[in-house]
Amino acid sequence: MSHPSESMSAYLDGELHGAELSNLVGHLGSCGRCSAELGDLQRVRAAVRSLPVLELPVGLVPEADPVVVPLRRNKGMWAGAAAAVVIAMIAIAALVTPDPQTSINELNSRFGARASLDPAFGPAKIVVPPLVGE
Amino acid sequence: MESVPLTWEEVARVYGRKIYNFAYRLTGNPDDAHDLVQEVLIRVRRGLASYQPGSFEGWLWRITRNAFLDDIRRQKRRPTSPLPDEVDRWDRASAESADVEYARISLGDDIQKALLDLPIDFREAVVLCDVVGLSYEEIAQACAVPIGTVRSRIHRGRKMLKESLA
Repeated sequence: MSHPSESMSAYLDGELHGAELSNLVGHLGSCGRCSAELGDLQRVRAAVRSLPVLELPVGLVPEADPVVVPLRRNKGMWAGAAAAVVIAMIAIAALVTPDPQTSINELNSRFGARASLDPAFGPAKIVVPPLVGE
Repeated sequence: MESVPLTWEEVARVYGRKIYNFAYRLTGNPDDAHDLVQEVLIRVRRGLASYQPGSFEGWLWRITRNAFLDDIRRQKRRPTSPLPDEVDRWDRASAESADVEYARISLGDDIQKALLDLPIDFREAVVLCDVVGLSYEEIAQACAVPIGTVRSRIHRGRKMLKESLA
């Protein structure tokens, strides 16, 4: 009797189909040796899948939402966006630190620096465009 | 149609943790995993400009895998099994989070060591399947081998793991 050993992992992974699948299922019903091997493989597979998911080290990837607003495209259009950015940054500053003196420049250096992974490409920066009238 | 991240930052945020876990399970070393993630993201950034629509994950994991293999060739050494001592060298996280991470890593010590004993081709196939969660077809694309080869590597890898863990 041939034992379809190599099909078993594919079977466990849902990667076995058609005649190959039905042949293996039929064989497992009558072969204690293959049933035992399937159980072993299932335990190994479960063990690897149970490895803890590791979190990324801090600073390895850029933080979300580096705000980059193009300068001098359409002052009218960007004036509203600029105001929204400034308001958002002030709100973030209030959340991040209780110090009311935190400036845009401080925010820029704090978040801009963290948004950079590869110094060769230069740090991502929060760019605040000029307000209306400039 | 598959949605393709537009920037390397988005790729980093969406796939960074998966790439890190893949890298860690292949190398068994947090420093090497850290460096590998950085290298992959640099390659992604360079490659996105010329990326042709297709299987983005296949493209990404091919880059990741090639970066790993290049690193192996460069170092001309087999990845060592550093656990658990080298975890102490992980100075990028705070002491508290390092303790938490150490406890999490220690849970899988035996399995990690058994993975590191596998030949690279088998280790890679098992990790892509069981840690990253790719289908056989995606693994075949990433490794540029037929699906039958993927199936064989995963199966033989698991049988070796069974012997190691017995």
